[in-house]
Amino acid sequence: MARYGMALDYKNCINCKACEVACKEENGVELGAEKHRIWVGGNNPEGAWPLLDMASASFLPSQCQQCEDAPCEEVCPTHATYYDENGVVRVDADKCILCSYCMNACPYDARYVDERTMTIDKCTFCSDTRLARGEMTTACQATCPTKVRTFGDLDDPESEISELLRTRDHFSLKAHLGTKPKLFYLT
Amino acid sequence: MNFIKKIIPMRDFTLKSLMTFEKTPLNILMFILTVGLLGAFGWGVVEYLMHSHEAYNVTRQHPWGLLIAMYIFFVVSSTGLCIVGSLGDVFGFKDYMAMSKRAILGSIVTILAGFAVIAFEIGHPITMLIYNVLSPGLTSAIWWMGTLYGIYLTFMIIEFIFLMRNDMKNARIFGLTGLLVGLAAHSNLGGVFGFLNARTISNGVFYPTYFILTAFITGIYLTYLMYGFRYKMNFPEEIKKGLIGLAKIQTLLLAILMFFETWKMMTGIYGGMPGRADVVEHILHSGGFVYGEVLCGMLIPFIIMLTTKWKSLNLYVYASFIGMIGIFFMRYDLVHDTQVKPLQMMKITEYQLPPKWIEYFPSAAEFAIGFGAIGIFFMLYYFGQKMFDLDGGDH
Repeated sequence: MARYGMALDYKNCINCKACEVACKEENGVELGAEKHRIWVGGNNPEGAWPLLDMASASFLPSQCQQCEDAPCEEVCPTHATYYDENGVVRVDADKCILCSYCMNACPYDARYVDERTMTIDKCTFCSDTRLARGEMTTACQATCPTKVRTFGDLDDPESEISELLRTRDHFSLKAHLGTKPKLFYLT
Repeated sequence: MNFIKKIIPMRDFTLKSLMTFEKTPLNILMFILTVGLLGAFGWGVVEYLMHSHEAYNVTRQHPWGLLIAMYIFFVVSSTGLCIVGSLGDVFGFKDYMAMSKRAILGSIVTILAGFAVIAFEIGHPITMLIYNVLSPGLTSAIWWMGTLYGIYLTFMIIEFIFLMRNDMKNARIFGLTGLLVGLAAHSNLGGVFGFLNARTISNGVFYPTYFILTAFITGIYLTYLMYGFRYKMNFPEEIKKGLIGLAKIQTLLLAILMFFETWKMMTGIYGGMPGRADVVEHILHSGGFVYGEVLCGMLIPFIIMLTTKWKSLNLYVYASFIGMIGIFFMRYDLVHDTQVKPLQMMKITEYQLPPKWIEYFPSAAEFAIGFGAIGIFFMLYYFGQKMFDLDGGDH
């Protein structure tokens, strides 16, 4: 039993989108721009050509925040969305009625319809694939060329993520909503 | 058939008599309209069965569309007719006694039309029936709403049976219980939107209360339309008194609704809170809100009723038709406005601008199923009129 989370050193992100590709490949995510478990958000650089401020173009990798108080879990009418033994927010395809309430309730736009299983899919921290095989990294982490992502057990004081969160300042997205995300952005 | 007649008194009818009606221009128009809408519904269902949700224009950012709006439209109508029906048989207001049977039948057929729509919006309706019982999500407003509406429909049917048997004591008991369950279900439907912490435009107490208020308003509009059609504008005295009373209540309710809406918009825009104030501004500049909700749904019927001092019943039937157009826009807008602000404000694919507003326009299949369900309402109501004596009720 663990309490999995992820730290993101987002300022190192170069927007290569290798994480998006690795996620789709590893987890068999459908093709198409709308079908993604993880994504890299970006701002256009400020200013006008040729005086563009390239430093202002920042990138923010994101995905399901694996909230401890997940709104998508609260609103699910059939408990299709649930916390597994590692605190990962998962979907039970047998129970999902495809009402889309979780899509509307998620503040992070992290859920989408998988047309093959006809369920609302989301990031599972590779629980069905890499973690199930005994590996201890997610696909997005393993492929990242600039080591943006660090995945691990938040309850283990010796883990790399715990060390990072002890020693680096960090913030969470939309923390004011009280969802208690387990994705931490290092500053 | 005799067994059913023992439970609920019915007129004698044959399949031929059910299909026969007086060939007036209005009746023929309604017949063509009903058949056309039912045909559209059927086509929409076939499209959905062949293409699943791909037949709809809903997206990741806008997962709820016209079908959710039409479901709300129908269940709001049902709750409203239940309230109007309860005025006589539950609360004992004599002027409204004669309306109870027709209003309660209306509340049953409108919610059935709503269920017909939602069956093709929910991806797995059978799974819903199973796991709503086996694995109930008690923190979910959708679970409460769906479950309570199921119980509500049962009570409405039982109330209708007792009304038809002229057993007013039992009709009152089941009517009151059904009304309370219906109000709880309906405010939970408002809660489905009110509980969305991430959507600041909808989050809060407004929708659960607004839904009850607009349900009553919708019920009165529909009562006018049903009686306008039934009596072809020549209202008998026992109905006139009730309709005049309903017009007075409607004027008051519309005034309260305009007051509520004004304050919702003012508190929404005040302080310029991002994600709320900009959405309110967006709403205030949309045609659906200005021409649909405000003009058709509220102002025109309000001004007509106020200026004619509740005497021009025929005019109120037309005002109610305009009002129902406004009610449709209220339902459509509340679904769309809830989702219009993107939750993800950064661009996530190259060669695009960051999203500003989420665009949505229903697909042909959504229009066909959503509006086609009005045909289901017309058909069920027509058969109800033919099978039951809905006029005797002044107890």
